[in-house]
This record gives sequence, C-alpha cells and structure tokens, in this order.
Amino acid sequence: MDLATLKANGIVRTQTARPPVRAVFPFGLSQAGVHELAEASFGDMPALTGFALAARSQGQNRGRAGAILWVTQAGLGMEHGLVPDGALQTFSPHHTPRLVVRPGKLADALWTIEEAIASSAVCLVVAEISGADFTATRRLALASGRHGVPVVLLMPYGREGATAAEARWRIAPRPSAPNRYDSRAPGAPRWHVVLERSRTAPHLAGRSFDLEWNDETLSLTVVPGLAAGQVTPPAPARRGPSDASGICRAS
Amino acid sequence: MRPASAGPADPPPFVLTQSVQAGLIVAAANRTALDLGIAPGLRFTDARARAPELLSGEIDREADARGLRNLAAWMVRWTPLAALDGLDGLMLETTGCDHLHGGEAAMVAALSQRLTRAGYAHRMGLAGTPGAASALARAAAKEGVPALLPEGTERDGLAELPVAALRLSNEAVTLLRRFGLPRIGQLYGIDRKALARRFQSRDMADAACLRLDQALGLRIEPLRPLQPPPAHSVRLACPEPIASSEAVVEGLRQITETLCADLARLGQGARSFAFHAFKSDGEVSSLTVTTARPVRTPAHIQSLFRETLDSIDPGFGIDLLLLEARRTGPMNVSAVALSGDLAASDTDDAALAALADRIVAKLGPGSVRVNTPQASHAPDRAEHWHPYDGALPPPSHTHATTGPRPVRMLSHPERVDVIAEVPDGPPLRFVWRRVVRIVSRADGPERINPEWWRSLPPVGGTGKMPRARDYYRVEDSKGGRYWLFRDGLYDDDRGAAPEWYVQGLFA
Repeated sequence: MDLATLKANGIVRTQTARPPVRAVFPFGLSQAGVHELAEASFGDMPALTGFALAARSQGQNRGRAGAILWVTQAGLGMEHGLVPDGALQTFSPHHTPRLVVRPGKLADALWTIEEAIASSAVCLVVAEISGADFTATRRLALASGRHGVPVVLLMPYGREGATAAEARWRIAPRPSAPNRYDSRAPGAPRWHVVLERSRTAPHLAGRSFDLEWNDETLSLTVVPGLAAGQVTPPAPARRGPSDASGICRAS
Repeated sequence: MRPASAGPADPPPFVLTQSVQAGLIVAAANRTALDLGIAPGLRFTDARARAPELLSGEIDREADARGLRNLAAWMVRWTPLAALDGLDGLMLETTGCDHLHGGEAAMVAALSQRLTRAGYAHRMGLAGTPGAASALARAAAKEGVPALLPEGTERDGLAELPVAALRLSNEAVTLLRRFGLPRIGQLYGIDRKALARRFQSRDMADAACLRLDQALGLRIEPLRPLQPPPAHSVRLACPEPIASSEAVVEGLRQITETLCADLARLGQGARSFAFHAFKSDGEVSSLTVTTARPVRTPAHIQSLFRETLDSIDPGFGIDLLLLEARRTGPMNVSAVALSGDLAASDTDDAALAALADRIVAKLGPGSVRVNTPQASHAPDRAEHWHPYDGALPPPSHTHATTGPRPVRMLSHPERVDVIAEVPDGPPLRFVWRRVVRIVSRADGPERINPEWWRSLPPVGGTGKMPRARDYYRVEDSKGGRYWLFRDGLYDDDRGAAPEWYVQGLFA
C-alpha cells in the first residue's frame, strides 16, 4: 500500500464536499475551520474545555470518521491539568479514540496540528497552545479548509490581536444552574461566551451568550438573561440584548 | 587495537599506566617502549629504570571502550554482525559479505587500508572460526600485513603458533610452556584426559580444551553482536563521494525503494529502519526511525527520515549509504472497506499509524500517547497512558457507576488550606494557588476507599497506610468548580489530622 492509497483511503471514507456552515450557533465550532477559544481570565481553562466538548457533541452526527488528536503544549498541561479520556465520554454519546501529543515547543505543536490535518485519520484536532501569530493561524486555516478537518485551539487569557481563524470565542465560567434536588449543591454548568470575531457571522461579532450544559440530554441551551444570575448576581459584564435570531437551541 | 602513534619514524617511548593494588603498572606501551623491553604488566618503576626518558599517561579504560564501540558501529559498513573481543579487539562475521568487496583478500586489504588511513594501528586475522581468526590476529599477523587462512585449514595453519594465541589465562600458558608444549600443534596429538590431568584445576583444563576446540572448529562459538543483525539491508556505494544533501535524499530514495521491493516480495514489513551514511573521512552518521506498525511504503519511510536528514553533514563526501530494516514481521494487508458501514471501526488504523510515525520521527519516541482504561476506583489509577503502538484500546464503560468526574485532572493533587466543618462537612473556604476561594455551593462526599489489595499493611503495624478519601464537588462565588478531597477521616487512626487536596477542575 503506498501513500496514494493511504490518502485515497481517507478520501473514500470521508465526505468530499464540506457541509455548508450555517450561520447559527455554534457557527461551525468543531465542525469546520479553525476556531479559537480564549480564557476571559486566568484559570478559565476548564470552562473552555467544557464548552469545546459540549459544542462538539451538538453536531456530532454530521462528523467525519477518525480519531481525535489532542495536542497539549507541555507547560500548559502542568498549569491547568490534563483532560482525561473519561471527560470526553461524559460530553458525547459516541466513543471516539483519542491520541495525545505533548510537544515542548510551540513550533512543534503547530507542526503537529498541521500534520494531523493533512492526514486522513483524524476527525478533529484540539490543541492547547500558548499562542499563535497571524501567519500560523492562516496556515492552519488554509490546511483545515483544504482537508476539511476542524481545529479547536484552546488559548490562554492573554490571547489578543489578529487571527485568520474562523472565529474567536472568549469564555468565562458562570455560577451553575440551581440544582433541582439539592439547593446547596452545584447544578448544570453555565458559561458566559462572547463571540469576539466571526467570519461566518460577522454581524454577530461581539454578541455574548449565556449557555447551560445539560449532561442528561447532552444539549447546550441558552439561559435567558433574567435567570442567568439567579443564585449569585452576575458579574457586571457587557451583555447585549438577547437576540433569538442568531441563536438556535442546538440539540 | 590502539591508535597508532603518528609522527616521525622513532617516537619517544610512551606508556599508559594503570594503578593496581601492587602499585603503578604499565597497561600499554608504544613500539619504541616495547623495543626497550617495556611490556604491559611491568611495574612502572622498573620501566622507568629501563628508559629514564619514558613518557607516561594514565589509561582511560572507559574512553577506550567507547572508542572501540564506535569503531564496531562503523564496521557495519563491512558486515552487519560485529562483536567486541576482549578489551582491544573486534570480531567480525564476514560470511556472505566478502563478495561485495571482491573476495576475502580484497576485503581484508580494503579494511586494512581504511583503518590505516584513519590512524588505527591494527593486526588482522581471517579464518573459518572465531578462535582461529583471533589466534592469527594475535600471533601471526603483523601490523598492516593481515594473516589469512583458507577455510578448513585451521589445523595446519595454527600448528606453528604459540599457545598464548589461544586466549588462555596466563597461568595456563606458563604451565603449558613448562610441560614443553609452547606451540599449538603440539597439543593436537596429546590425549585429552592426559592433558587435563596436568592442569592444577579442572576449570583451567576445561578452558584450555574449549579454546583449542573452538579454534579448530570442533566446538561452535557464537558471537554476541553489539547490534542484532538486521533482517534486510540494502547498500549503495557511490562511485564518487557525494557532498550535497540533495544527493543524500536521492540516494535514500533509491535504497528505500529497493528495500521495500525486497520486503514486498516476502510479504513483510518492518517497524524500524536504520540509515547509515559513511563518510570518506571514516566517520559514520546513523539515523533510526521506528513505526507504530510494520510498513513498507517507500514514500512514508522517506518522509520519516526527512525530519532528521538535515543532521547528516556530508563533510568531505559520503561514499556509502546503507539502509537496514529491523524488527520485520508479516504485514497485514487487507482491502479497505469502501463503505464505512462495512469497516471494523470508524478509524483508519493505517493512516493513523502513519500520522503517529511522522510525529514520533519529529518529536522523539513515546511522544504519541494513548490511554488504556484501568479497572480501578482511584481516579489517578483509572487511566494508563502509554506510547501508541498501532492499536487503539477498546472503549471503557466504567464511568457510568461513579459520580461526576472533572473535565481536567491535575497531574498531582495539590494541597490546599481549607476551612471546613469537622468531621465531615464540605469546605467553606479554601486557598488554592494563593487565591482565596469562598465556596458558595458544595456536593458530597463521595467516598473512595483505598484499594487494600494494592497496599499490604506494613509489618509491625507502623508505617503509612493509604487513607480513605472523601471527594467534594464545590463551586466558588466566581463560578469556578473544583474537585477537592480530604485525605483520610478524623477517626481512622492512620496518622495526623487529614489534609485537603484539589484533584481536578469541573467545566
């Protein structure tokens, strides 16, 4: 079997035409293109991870076959902990095999991501990296567009500046939903998500969403603005008027 | 084999010394010193007395061994099977290799010429058995004049050599000389039992007979190669030394294609490939790549080498390229299912393994890891990460019976200062990474007992026993969600008051 066969093999298995990205939530996050997720402040990485996994499980039936490649730059894993395999299963009904790579340098991490995109065995690349300049994101976006492999970049809170990615999201945790069975216990996790930039829906850039993850129905729902700060008053954050047209109850 | 003393025809006497219990002795001497009667084993003071102008230095056995090892690695140019022979010798198995160099005599001459050019003084012997070759090299060969013995003529060829050439202990050699048996040929006719009786001990007699038999080929002597010989190897001799990296790439392309064709003919693939580039100045650069599953795709193997090929510096030119296939095995080639429904799994194992190979070639062995779930209640034991070897572990179904598990786990639980209700209340306030966190809501405890079958109680009843852990899921006022545990109970009699740790973070 030569490399052409290997490549052809991947083409036969996967969709040749990319499904069009609809301008509805989550705007192709973990379905197509490169998406950046950034912390709102230091220590929000768990919320970031949860949101990425939750958004992925929303459109999974359209997903392509293959394994997940999880790239963690070495220093970041020490800081925020590592994602166990069990976490993937709590967020998704399907088992997807996962390979983990922990390169030491950013350049190696970016190389690994690009290499994984070009291979036909990977359905999603999730990368925790310390940063990426415009050229690097452009390379990844082009490769991702050519091979149809979605990329999710989990970035630290200092992430600013130009990017060629499809969208940049900024995520902060919110006090969780009230627990129906025990008022003293935390309930379903909630996140405050700001869509900072978006190429698919530029008119929605700057819009924020308060989202709740239901781990029983595996669905992401929008929390109405009034209910969002029920347990503790919400932090004085910028929040636009709730606009239902840009948000669909993804389930 | 020792580096030749370069320079004028008559260098000053020079010895390397070694300190033993009796004092300083001579470990090695150059030719001038040997001519003056200073032989290895002589006490240094005696040597100094014979030659007052004697120069000396301390011997570095480790560096010598390293040098010998490097030289043995270079010998892969001549034969894949090279072994160390004592402290100063190399043993090469050249069966089937001599025709590549135009016969045994031509091969030995070429090897000798290259060693001389690289500055190695050497004596070479070539014979049908390792013992005979060793005896020839030590007793018959002169420097630069190899001694060859045609196959099957060991008996006659060795007859005139001294018994010391048989790799015997000094005592045995002295004893044989006292019996009036200084030459190997004199041992042939003696009855074995009679010979053995003359030695002081049975071991010494056995050793002498064994060495004699090995030299004559009556008993087989296996070599212990430094590197296991490869299953297949392909060589490309360059008529003119190549000095550009493009030419190296082209040479690599040619030999990978030849090697893969060989493997395909046998229906095999290999999991490790070694590429050697021999430079005309006597150096060798070696690269090794490993793959997750057996492969024989030339383009894939080349792409793996491409990551590190830059590290080969052609220098004054490369005159020989050699590619070896190691760890070969049957290759499982099956037709790919056209429809995803017919495939055994969603994942294309061959493509995934190819990706892992490329990452491993760039980032180093063990950099692609995969988790095999373990049947353990302890959260830090439930996962076992190991290098990906081409097989994906089956999915686990263990999480269904446990409580909620965090989305991120710290690599080691981190100790925190906690204010909590005694004995088993949830934390109210804790300091983690120097930030005070006020707990607004908490859930728990979920008790995880230590697995007693893993830790037997220490003898005598003292010592540290693992303690039960009470896990709490807490949320602070800012929305951060943590997985804390209290290591131990207040009344479990297993040490001081329990401490608190953060183990994971919820989404």
